[in-house]
Amino acid sequence: MEDELSFSDICGGRLALQRRYYSPTCREFCLSCPRLSLRSLTAVTCSVWLAAYGLFTLCENSMILSAAIFIILLGLLGYLHFVKIDQETLLIIDSLGIQMTSSYASGKESTTFIEMGKVKDIIINEAIYMQKVIYYLCILLKDPVEPHGISQVVPVFQSAKPRLDCLIEVYRSCQEILAHQKATSTSP
Amino acid sequence: MAARGKDPDPPPPAALTCASPAECSLSSTQSHTVCMVSDFFYPNMGGVESHIYQLSQCLIERGHKIIIVTHAYGNRKGVRYLTNGLKVYYLPLKVMYNQSTATTLFHSLPLLRYIFVREKVTIIHSHSSFSAMAHDALFHGKTMGLQTVFTDHSLFGFADVSSVLTNKLLTVSLCDTNHIICVSYTSKENTVLRATLNPEIVSVIPNAVDPTDFTPDPFQRHDDVVTIIVVSRLVYRKGTDLLSGIIPKLCLKYPDLNFIIGGEGPKRIILEEVRERYQLHDRVHLLGALEHKNVRNVLVQGHIFLNTSLTEAFCMAILEAASCGLQVVSTRVGGIPEVLPESLIILCEPSVKSLCEGLEKAISQLKSGTLLPPADIHNIVKTFYTWRNVAERTEKVYDRVSREAVLSMDKRLDRLISHCGPVTGCIFALLAVFNFLFLVFLQWMIPDSLIDVAVDASGPQSTWGRQCSYSKQRDQNSSEPSKTR
Repeated sequence: MEDELSFSDICGGRLALQRRYYSPTCREFCLSCPRLSLRSLTAVTCSVWLAAYGLFTLCENSMILSAAIFIILLGLLGYLHFVKIDQETLLIIDSLGIQMTSSYASGKESTTFIEMGKVKDIIINEAIYMQKVIYYLCILLKDPVEPHGISQVVPVFQSAKPRLDCLIEVYRSCQEILAHQKATSTSP
Repeated sequence: MAARGKDPDPPPPAALTCASPAECSLSSTQSHTVCMVSDFFYPNMGGVESHIYQLSQCLIERGHKIIIVTHAYGNRKGVRYLTNGLKVYYLPLKVMYNQSTATTLFHSLPLLRYIFVREKVTIIHSHSSFSAMAHDALFHGKTMGLQTVFTDHSLFGFADVSSVLTNKLLTVSLCDTNHIICVSYTSKENTVLRATLNPEIVSVIPNAVDPTDFTPDPFQRHDDVVTIIVVSRLVYRKGTDLLSGIIPKLCLKYPDLNFIIGGEGPKRIILEEVRERYQLHDRVHLLGALEHKNVRNVLVQGHIFLNTSLTEAFCMAILEAASCGLQVVSTRVGGIPEVLPESLIILCEPSVKSLCEGLEKAISQLKSGTLLPPADIHNIVKTFYTWRNVAERTEKVYDRVSREAVLSMDKRLDRLISHCGPVTGCIFALLAVFNFLFLVFLQWMIPDSLIDVAVDASGPQSTWGRQCSYSKQRDQNSSEPSKTR
């Protein structure tokens, strides 16, 4: 089963949430941001070029113009490869664990996996972020030494930063699976 | 206290009493969303901190939604929850001096606006005139068109340069605030004069003590000797110099007299000198700094409590001592005469001679057995100042304020220019305009519709322990008015 919902992030940008239910105990949530728009790309390029031409008229050195070309090219490559995340996926499997994948605009993917034994809970928390107070979804990890303690908090959807309504949607589904997992792990 | 004679009208209690019982019951059903702002909150310890905490708890109990905004203390930043869903925002703002944040009047607007919008705050209640953040919040609240209330916790002078400056700033900050609360009539007089306010928008709501924390225990004290307790910071304002004059005089006269002195401060050295010179090591005990939870254990060891303050808005220490069943001897300064009835306190002039006479009177009463027993004093005091009563009276201020209109921008500018002098008024009117433009810019950058409304932890839509607390809250709400009225 698969469906797609539309939400917005904390700055008002559009986000698409795809939910794939493979089985009652295995679900995948995929948040995709809009791709790099031609408009912002043009705006950045133009402003860099204007600045370069301004400098060029001042000191009349053509090195500046070639430097501007390199700056734009390298900047764009770096941005696409290291900064711009197009899609963030949260795959939760009852008996195995939680896998978080973020795919960059260049196609690079980075994946983290947390096995179910380490997961204590999934919660929505509040944080102060850049002059804003936002909600975020995070995974609490068990402390191996102390059974009731928390060793680490892993935030989910870190770059997309969806709003509360989207987080609640994901949270509910995750909680269903966690509850199912707890029920099966204690019953045998 | 030259000002006392000049004040023509007796303290008008109009702000605190309802016109009719019908209005009372109508207004108490209305629920407010209040944001308490102050630089001073737990984990910092002090009078303002506990005032905010206790008041918030009692207001939550009465069904209001309360949030607290303060600055980050060390590693404690972000959003925290305290008992009963009291939500505290520890904002990462720079601390300048004495736990007070720096103020530029603008830099805190984005965060405070975000919080006010997401929590749907209707009333901003700032505490303490030393707190820059409290004044910032008042300024931003007025720009955003919210109702504002301010509580003043301290007395100031008029003469020296620093108080002239702070008084000017207070004038600017309070001239368009909806309502001001003071902790005693003396403090009200002081604030009205300092900030040139209309006395009708100033209410007096005293502090309170938790009577269950300060219970008498007569078995802790030794009845073969007389013990005098002093608990205060050892600084000039608290009259430590007077104390150093009293100790040798009385110790010579009464061989069975002991002093226990709790507190720390720069004047401690004077007391140590006195102890050294008159060889009083076994009779004068200096305990050093006390934690608030240990104060009661010290108080119950004594018979007489001595307070030598030179200035005081509302003395919590004598109230705590009286609640522990001690006879109180105090100087007649500031708001102290208002705190306790004549039968429970011996008031003296702030001089060594007068205080000695007062103490001798208390000692002779104690020896002749005419003092009230501690349990009786406790039972009398316990009815005077309760946090529930404070919350009830604060609620009436909120009700009154919520019916008032907030000054529009042009009226506010008029008020600033006409009220605060030509130069200061114009400067701050200009700053108010800048603040308004900044707010418009922020509203364009992040429209209110983009801000997630926070999930309520207290108040009518509370999600905090929903199953049990709802029925409990109802019970308390219905039973409480009969108890406190």
